[in-house]
Amino acid sequence: MRRVESPVRKIWAVVRREFVERVRRRWFWIMALVGPLFFGAVFVLPSVLARGGGVRQIVVVDGTAGPLGRRITDSLNATRAFDAVVVRAGGRVLDSLTTEVEEKRLSGFLILTDATVDSGKAEYRGSNVSGLATVGALRRVVGDAVSAARLERAGVDPRIVAEARVPLHLATHPIARGGATAQTGEQSFSLAYFMGIILYTAILLYGINVMSSVLEEKTTRIVEVLVSSVRPFELMVGKVVGVGAVSILQFLIWGVGGRLLLARHGSPLAGGDATNGEEIFQVPHVSGGTLAIFMAYFLGGFFLYSAMFAAVGAISSTEQEARQAQQPVAWLLVLSFVSMFALLNDPNSTLAISLSLVPLSAPIAMPVRWAAGNIPGYEIALSLAILVVSIVGVTWIAARIYRVGILMTGKRPSIRELARWVRA
Amino acid sequence: MTSPTPLVLDRVSKRFAGHTAVDQLSLSVPTGVVYGLLGPNGAGKTTTIRMIMDILQPDDGTVRLFGQPSGGRAHAERIGYLPEERGLYRKMRVLDVLVFLAEMKGMDRRQARDRAGEWLERLGLAQWAPRPIDELSKGMQQKVQFISTILHDPDLVVLDEPFSGLDPVNTQTMKDIVLDLHRRGKTILFSTHIMEQAEKLCDQLCIIAQGRKLVDGPLGEIKRTHGGHHLVIGFDGNAGGAARVFADETLVNKVDNYGQYAELELAPGADAQRILSELVASGARLSRFELQEASLHKIFIDLVGPDARNAEGREPRA
Repeated sequence: MRRVESPVRKIWAVVRREFVERVRRRWFWIMALVGPLFFGAVFVLPSVLARGGGVRQIVVVDGTAGPLGRRITDSLNATRAFDAVVVRAGGRVLDSLTTEVEEKRLSGFLILTDATVDSGKAEYRGSNVSGLATVGALRRVVGDAVSAARLERAGVDPRIVAEARVPLHLATHPIARGGATAQTGEQSFSLAYFMGIILYTAILLYGINVMSSVLEEKTTRIVEVLVSSVRPFELMVGKVVGVGAVSILQFLIWGVGGRLLLARHGSPLAGGDATNGEEIFQVPHVSGGTLAIFMAYFLGGFFLYSAMFAAVGAISSTEQEARQAQQPVAWLLVLSFVSMFALLNDPNSTLAISLSLVPLSAPIAMPVRWAAGNIPGYEIALSLAILVVSIVGVTWIAARIYRVGILMTGKRPSIRELARWVRA
Repeated sequence: MTSPTPLVLDRVSKRFAGHTAVDQLSLSVPTGVVYGLLGPNGAGKTTTIRMIMDILQPDDGTVRLFGQPSGGRAHAERIGYLPEERGLYRKMRVLDVLVFLAEMKGMDRRQARDRAGEWLERLGLAQWAPRPIDELSKGMQQKVQFISTILHDPDLVVLDEPFSGLDPVNTQTMKDIVLDLHRRGKTILFSTHIMEQAEKLCDQLCIIAQGRKLVDGPLGEIKRTHGGHHLVIGFDGNAGGAARVFADETLVNKVDNYGQYAELELAPGADAQRILSELVASGARLSRFELQEASLHKIFIDLVGPDARNAEGREPRA
């Protein structure tokens, strides 16, 4: 006697095929290894670039009558970012120093005059004027010295001045989830930044995976055999779930691998010369709540976007066509990603709140806001509810396009034709 | 108890933007026959098959499979389908593809694995089981695709242009498979525009053109009713008064006279034996006198060829 067939078994077979075939590929394991390196690079590069490399050799050209040049030179050397020497101004000093810089024996030179204390004007000439960290450090050191000199000139006791110059360390701890966290502001920022990048990359990557899978079945015409035994909608859902499972495994590998690495070597990012207060990026502690938010929004974003990518795959007949047709979908994601930077500046602005409610941008915006600061629970609930409803709606529309598209060959349909497919 | 007819189409129509691909098509495929769906390119064969397979939904009419008014998806485990355009997952291993496609047909994994192994063995592909599809030659891929079509031992096998693109060796393999299924009592529906194949394989057939049925029924019956009778005559030097005999419209419908050789189409109801006796009486010496059945090819051309467009091509639908 025949068995009673339930579609779940067939959907399960589709899910398993997508999963097994992908995990078997070399590509998956390359991603498992290269992914963290890539994200690490994205993560570390900005701070490395901002810091610039190594100790800067500079000369302080002192044209002042007082001890200002001496003091600034000492302060610069105390930062350990500079190797500074003081010379008296005059003669052809500037010309010879310029030659030194041109021949790269010197990073640059700082020119101080008697007017420096009065007007606060000094000049730095160097090979790399735009090195942000260099300029920032110079500005701070010169500024401190100038204010000290002004105070002393006004009759303030040098000891009081020295005391007043004890550097300030402002520790920022975001208040979140009912109390101050142990996390620093820097860590929140880097966590938000990091999550934004991973969400964007993973949703795009695995969405495009779904698209390629649809396209493969369409171009090889296997889809005809498949839809004669399983509903197009079931096929599409199986595909999305299968690819989604692959992405979760990928995250697990990254997560476990990353944890093991960090446990063994300590933090490769926060260590070393991060003590100079210039460090923006620090390895954050990821709490269970953050992980849950991350996974919820990743899956939400993935389902939302991969339904669209599936429809794109279905209306295309070649890889080339698909690459073109996926651009509008990819741009939606790029837009959400770019808006992340606005969110980071002010996670509680009206713009930020709107972006984390709009379903297309919420998958990136909400986790970023969550990581950056305090978010009321109802906002998360509302945002998730909107996202889920949108997933259902978008999947419904995508499935109708998919159903017709996978059997169609030839020219890509116009927007008007697509609308007809959806209404049909 | 007799099993219900595997496939019945009842006035099925399908329209696409601007044209009617299938127009009120009715046909019935009984259990255990090899049924040919014949027609020129663009006749609506593939559209018909896609409606049977539930890939397309008919605009009008019903498809009944195994007695139930539902398309192929509901009976997936009883139907094997080979589409006209073929392809397999290129990167997947041969055995995995077969198991997956069998699972889509509702087959148990383990059973599918065993049966796929047997079939690969039988078609000489056993050592390729763990290799990815794209390492196989085109011919081997075609064999894998046949296997995928029948692996779940379907009762009804639907083959869309099964021989197109096959090399002679695979054509033979395919025929053997079809005949083997036939011997085991399976029902086979296949479409083709190559009449010689249909003539060799079909018990019954249906000829369609421009989405409409022109004729259907058992092959022999169609040949009798639509083929007319053809006579091939060879003369041994002396044609005698043959020309006068051929001119008798009560005997001969059409003649192609080469002098020493002639092909006749008999008038309806005419008796070939009368022609023979009249020719002999007219003094002709005959080296050959052969009554021929029209080939399916000729019937097909008569029905759908350019001459038929205005006459038989628009016959009332059955």
